[in-house]
Amino acid sequence: MAKKMRDKDILKAIQRKSHQNKQAYLFLLPWLIGFIIFTIGPFFYTVYLSFYEVESTGLGWVTTFVGMDNYFMALFRNLYYLPALIDFIVLEITYVPAVVIASFIIGILLNRDIKFRSGFRTIFFLPVIVLSGSVMDKLIETGGTRLSDFSENIIFQMLMNYNRSAARGLLNLFENFTMVLWFTGIPVILFINGLQKINTQLYEAAKIDGATTWQILWKITVPIIKPTALIVAIFTIVQIGMYSINPIYEIIKAAMYNFGAGLGLASAYTWIYTLVVLFFVGIALLLLGTKEKAETVKLSSIQRLNFEQIKAKRDSVSKEVNNESN
Amino acid sequence: MKAIKRFLDKISNLYAKIKHNQRKIGRITTQVIIYALLITISYVFLFPLLSMISLSFMSPTDVINPEVDWIPAKLYFGNFGAAIRVLDLFKTLFNSIWFSGTLAIAQTIVSALTGYAFARYNFRFKRLLFALILVSFIVPVPIILIPRIMMIVSVQDATGMSLIGTVVPQLVMGLFGQGVNSAILILIFYNFFKMIPNVLFEAAKIDGANAYQQFWHITIRMSLSTIVVVFLFSFVWNWNETYVTEILVRNNVHLMPTQLGLFETLFFQRPVDIPGQDNTALLSEAYKMAATLLTMIPLFIIYFAAQKQFVEGIEKTGITGE
Repeated sequence: MAKKMRDKDILKAIQRKSHQNKQAYLFLLPWLIGFIIFTIGPFFYTVYLSFYEVESTGLGWVTTFVGMDNYFMALFRNLYYLPALIDFIVLEITYVPAVVIASFIIGILLNRDIKFRSGFRTIFFLPVIVLSGSVMDKLIETGGTRLSDFSENIIFQMLMNYNRSAARGLLNLFENFTMVLWFTGIPVILFINGLQKINTQLYEAAKIDGATTWQILWKITVPIIKPTALIVAIFTIVQIGMYSINPIYEIIKAAMYNFGAGLGLASAYTWIYTLVVLFFVGIALLLLGTKEKAETVKLSSIQRLNFEQIKAKRDSVSKEVNNESN
Repeated sequence: MKAIKRFLDKISNLYAKIKHNQRKIGRITTQVIIYALLITISYVFLFPLLSMISLSFMSPTDVINPEVDWIPAKLYFGNFGAAIRVLDLFKTLFNSIWFSGTLAIAQTIVSALTGYAFARYNFRFKRLLFALILVSFIVPVPIILIPRIMMIVSVQDATGMSLIGTVVPQLVMGLFGQGVNSAILILIFYNFFKMIPNVLFEAAKIDGANAYQQFWHITIRMSLSTIVVVFLFSFVWNWNETYVTEILVRNNVHLMPTQLGLFETLFFQRPVDIPGQDNTALLSEAYKMAATLLTMIPLFIIYFAAQKQFVEGIEKTGITGE
């Protein structure tokens, strides 16, 4: 009898579960279809297309296999693509750390108890809302983003002799520091949010143990904020590619713009570009990814230790009390 | 003996006072440093915008005059007149508003549905699909755009409708949850819906509400503020999006950012006559900056009306917490 009941219950639970599945997927359906048709499918289809020549005829699209030709074309025969790719890599290497560090510093500054905090926050978030690609272009064109000229600086001249493209990347970074700051809009909010989640008791404990502000920053804040930094880094790596300061942007757009022919080549362009982006995402994961599980285990074991000690103490005290009463 | 003790006390008192003052001074200096840093950073942030505003009020003589650096000798509004005519402002503004508005409505609806599914239900492959939402954010747009173009052209050829150059392709993407920054919008909804206590749904279920009623009467009615935030974000991002728009819409629908991008060309196509000058006015930086300022004004208005909501919206994504 009891067993029968249990079977019935399980059956009901399964039914409810599958019912829930159905409902959930009903809500999810538009996104899921879109994701398969418009995002993940095209992603792999572009990889496939990069080995083909794509032509638009009256009867539809015609693809012919050309092997690695598109890649040879992109990397060796096109005079502009490879230099632009290198410039893009330099851009990522210089901008992403700058954005992460700058937004972390701003986040720390804004996380303090200061006056006009919301005012500063409003200013720092402004670029996220008002900045479109063409607005940025216009501001760059008129030299509005250029703070000062460092090209005559002696340190820069020394670097220039040492390594040209690295020097140019750094020069670009310093001269257009405004651009770096403009990418910090969302990262700053994320960092503030992350900083506010840190338990203040940790700071107090460290202070009682005599840690300096500097030590607290490096030993407590930085390790805890690392996951946020990872998200910020990935966000920046992707976001920088979408503006015209990315040198490849124009090349890819031009290749895509006339889609009568050359979409195969455009696929090769974008696929190489995507590989570079994903490569940087991988590096960010390597540098900033944490072994979160190990840490939580450590923390909980410390807690358990504390509990055991407290329990032992309490037991001994109660024993003493008992003895006395006896 | 007593005198010595009193003396020592006095010294230690003095020492404590000095120490206290030192600490006070230290605190004040850190405050000053923080403010100095913040103000410097704000200056760097705003520098291009300030120079844009100052340039856009300069008369042609002021632009050339090396003595005029920041403040124009006389407020001059001619640049705006020229920019309005070149941009064909009122029509363009209207276009941009309905264009971004339509896309934003589509995106908001689908993000709400998707976010609700993730927040409310436990279903198979939930974690995998959630990870895929985040993945969809990392994938660079150009790589998925080529097959999308091919699809659109194929549909165009098959049905004889002209889709390239209209809002339709992007609207379809939006309706299927693949618009600009859809992942962030979904995350905002997800995190808000997760906060709604489960008790409410259980009570509704006991009263016989079906899934649709639970979604509409409880969830949506409770989250009007979140809906507004998501809509505004989507509106602004669609407004600012130029990459996909330039390829799919071309210049068929005159939109603010694309018109601004074409400003130089348009300047010579749509003749401008400035009072006090020849009919062939020269293109100056001041016109460009005035046009840039004009395209930004609607966004400024939205931002200052809802700045708190914007910042909180990003905090609500909760991507830092997981």
